[in-house]
Amino acid sequence: MPAAIGGRLDGELLVGGCQAGRDPQAQVARRVGIVFQDPESQLVMERVDDEVAFGLESLGWSAGEMQARVPVALTDLGLAGFGRRRTARLSGGEQQRLAIAGALAAAPGILVLDEPTANLDPAGTRELAARLAAMRAVRSTTIVLVEHRADLVWPLADLILALGADGRPIALGTPAEMLERYAARLAGSGVWLPDSFVGRAGDPAPPDPREPGRVAGAPLLEVRGVGFAWVGGGQPIFRAVDLDLGEGDRVALLGPNGSGKSTLGRIASGLLRPTTGSVRLAGNDPARLPARELARRVGYVFQDPERQFVAATVRAEMEAGLDAAGRAGVAEVAASLGLPLEAFGERSPYTLSGGEQRRLSLAPALARRPSLLVLDEPTYGQDRHGYDRLVDFFRARLGSGTAILVATHDPRLVADLGARPFELDGASSGVVAA
Amino acid sequence: MMTTSERAPAVTLADPRWRTRDILVTAVLGVAFGVVFWFWNNLAWSFLAPLGPFQNLFYAVWLIPAVLAPLIVRKPGAALFAELLAAAVSVIAGSPWSLDVLLSGFVQGAAAELVFAFTLYRAWSLPVLAIAALASAAAAWVHDWVIYYPTVAVETQLLVGAAMGVSALLIVGVGSLVLVRALRGAGVLEGFPR
Amino acid sequence: MIAVRAADDRALASPLGRTSPVAKLVLVGAWVAGLALTTDPRPPLVLGAVGLAGAVVLGRVRPASLVAGLAPLVFAALTVGFFNALLNPANANPAFAAVTSLGPIRLTAPAISAGVALSCRVGAVAALGIAFGLTTDTTRLVDALVQQAHMPERFAYGALAAFQAIPRLAEDLVALREARRIRGLRASWHPRILVGLLVLAIRRADRLAVAMDARGFGSGQRTRFRSVEWSLADGVLLGVGLAVLVAAMALGRGA
Ligand SMILES: Nc1ncnc2c1ncn2[C@@H]1O[C@H](COP(=O)(O)OP(=O)(O)OP(=O)(O)O)[C@@H](O)[C@H]1O
Ligand SMILES: Nc1ncnc2c1ncn2[C@@H]1O[C@H](COP(=O)(O)OP(=O)(O)OP(=O)(O)O)[C@@H](O)[C@H]1O
Ligand SMILES: [Mg+2]
Ligand SMILES: [Mg+2]
Repeated sequence: MPAAIGGRLDGELLVGGCQAGRDPQAQVARRVGIVFQDPESQLVMERVDDEVAFGLESLGWSAGEMQARVPVALTDLGLAGFGRRRTARLSGGEQQRLAIAGALAAAPGILVLDEPTANLDPAGTRELAARLAAMRAVRSTTIVLVEHRADLVWPLADLILALGADGRPIALGTPAEMLERYAARLAGSGVWLPDSFVGRAGDPAPPDPREPGRVAGAPLLEVRGVGFAWVGGGQPIFRAVDLDLGEGDRVALLGPNGSGKSTLGRIASGLLRPTTGSVRLAGNDPARLPARELARRVGYVFQDPERQFVAATVRAEMEAGLDAAGRAGVAEVAASLGLPLEAFGERSPYTLSGGEQRRLSLAPALARRPSLLVLDEPTYGQDRHGYDRLVDFFRARLGSGTAILVATHDPRLVADLGARPFELDGASSGVVAA
Repeated sequence: MMTTSERAPAVTLADPRWRTRDILVTAVLGVAFGVVFWFWNNLAWSFLAPLGPFQNLFYAVWLIPAVLAPLIVRKPGAALFAELLAAAVSVIAGSPWSLDVLLSGFVQGAAAELVFAFTLYRAWSLPVLAIAALASAAAAWVHDWVIYYPTVAVETQLLVGAAMGVSALLIVGVGSLVLVRALRGAGVLEGFPR
Repeated sequence: MIAVRAADDRALASPLGRTSPVAKLVLVGAWVAGLALTTDPRPPLVLGAVGLAGAVVLGRVRPASLVAGLAPLVFAALTVGFFNALLNPANANPAFAAVTSLGPIRLTAPAISAGVALSCRVGAVAALGIAFGLTTDTTRLVDALVQQAHMPERFAYGALAAFQAIPRLAEDLVALREARRIRGLRASWHPRILVGLLVLAIRRADRLAVAMDARGFGSGQRTRFRSVEWSLADGVLLGVGLAVLVAAMALGRGA
């Protein structure tokens, strides 16, 4: 739909004999189903069955056909019996499978999935991969999967097309061929390869020397008996969390979608007050610190970078809240993030690519050197180069005594930071610290 | 490209067909302002009550969608759609004026809509926005007079009307132009006419 | 977060929950219009009470939800009445004795009774709105508006999709304010927050629009997964409701 989003399409794209971008949208919609990265922003209706029926209604199916089709489409994606549930109350993984059920209900010949697992927990990802594998076995639908995650893609794909940073194709081939012939080139352009291959792809330095599993350096953050419940939200999402971070220490918050990782991160950085228990940051309650003080001590990187921009240009975004000395160093920070001010300074943060936004969201932490960094899913949607750059940056910070609390679904990041896993186990009450 | 389009001002009518994107952007703005209305109806307005007639200096918050949404999407009916939807959302969320809010929304949206229709949806300069905002405020003034303040003295009514007009000019006329500039700068209005 | 009170499943399964939303809308509209025509406090008291009782008995709405929904509205109703009484021209008329006065400000009996009547009207109108909202499913409302009131469906379903996004908009606001605080900026209010909020809202609208287009939205004649039919209950509701309106208005005129 290039016209609607203000773009231009060159060349020709034929989908099952009809021309995308030129022929009526309905004809394309009958042939292609699309599922996007963010599970919840593509759901239209309030209830699950209405959501699946939405596309069928648009394409003019009869009521009888829809009544028969909707439960089947739900069952195919492992959502049997979910019909009357509210879409907003499903987990991220369930929402994503619902989006696929909605796209598949009209039995399109082609299903396009754009990073469908970027926001999913490991269980949701596994479940989705299993469904995709089942669909592949039946061979009724062509699946086009746009993904960074090689471990997901390689076992599923018949053909792989790799694009370079400039958007031009690098190579097209079967998974085996790709590894055999192009592994070096793919790795060189920042394309992720399956785990077994990572070692050969210019792996970064080994994890830094501190022992994982013990509190190193002076104590910095003390979380004591913290519980949290949303006002009017009923059950607490966690109770009695204890957590200690010392200088240079790192802890990874793990757990399923909705288990409260982001919430705990916000509590630890003084953005949210816990319902019960206490938080101490170098002896102070961070929620009571004046904004300036808090900003000096804590850097917080939001799960969604677009929610954290406070200014109209990249330059202003980097300078926001800094004193004169800090502002003088901004150009250097920008360069080190790969966002030189000459090229990016006057652009709006909202027009950057996802990867660029991610790096820009780290600028405040770089410019100020806070003693605690709280990172919410800092590496999702990154290619290999972007990931390596972020990990290098975090390691350098750890080396100079910054503590890191990171919420993530990515076991690789946990390992690369040598972080202590801290499990939030969703529905149930307690919390297990490994 | 740039120079030709600058030299030859568009003589064709603006395309009146609504794309899905136009509908959704207008709808989301309407819904967002519906939440603002809810806040304004239930909390803010009561706290402004001690200002008496000058309370109406803040009236124009209720008129923003009728000008902001059409200024962004530039489609026939956008003023009415956005204002009515905002009103509907505030009713569903609970409003002391209940369904009458729909009537308010209708007259406010329709008044602005008429002004934009008069320009054939082609002129979006500050004067046009100001006139649309004033028209919307005038409609609201008459509506409120008849429905809520039938017993209030005429001199007070004139004062109320003047306060609403000033409010509409500043908050709606100037405010929406400034907001749209900022949104355009942020790059989210690509694909919309400018 | 934001208190958009949704009808719960119990209320939706009730007799009032199953009637056509359009029928309810018409009835509430008629009552509200009727209330606008009277300056007597009795019709609004009767209609408001009948509306609330109907919501609890026929609509199986929990009284607690009713109270929670009404509380802020009662406050607004009182302030409207109070300021109307204060600004009533009767206060300046020396023919009426002041009931109370504070310096140059006088409150006369006709002004007070007009204010009380207005408070009752606003309170009743608010109660009816709450009763409607707590017994009506938004999706079914839109289905009924499209099928029974022939509203343009692209706009109706577009609005419905946007409506589902309200909780996200509220979270956006919280996040934007937190983002300012963690950068050492004033968090409470700033024009950038408004801009950021609108940016995120428009982004959300864009993503929804693309997702809907991709499923063929608005590309042809739409069919109906859930049809809303007129039923006998709708007729009974309208008939009885209008009779109650007439009776309540007669009560007012008899004064
Ligand atoms: N503003 C809010 N109001 C009410 N509930 C909320 C709010 N924000 C989040 N929640 C709920 O709190 C729970 C924890 O959310 P949180 O975002 O902390 O989870 P998470 O572990 O970060 O999930 P994910 O892996 O999807 O990022 C979820 O059930 C969520 O729906
Ligand atoms: N609306 C837009 N306006 C201008 N440029 C855009 C827009 N959307 C995307 N771009 C640019 O087009 C390029 C390709 O974007 P696209 O989203 O297809 O990348 P991608 O390969 O999916 O990246 P990612 O892995 O981060 O999802 C990026 O450089 C991006 O900045
Ligand atoms: Mg992408
Ligand atoms: Mg999270």
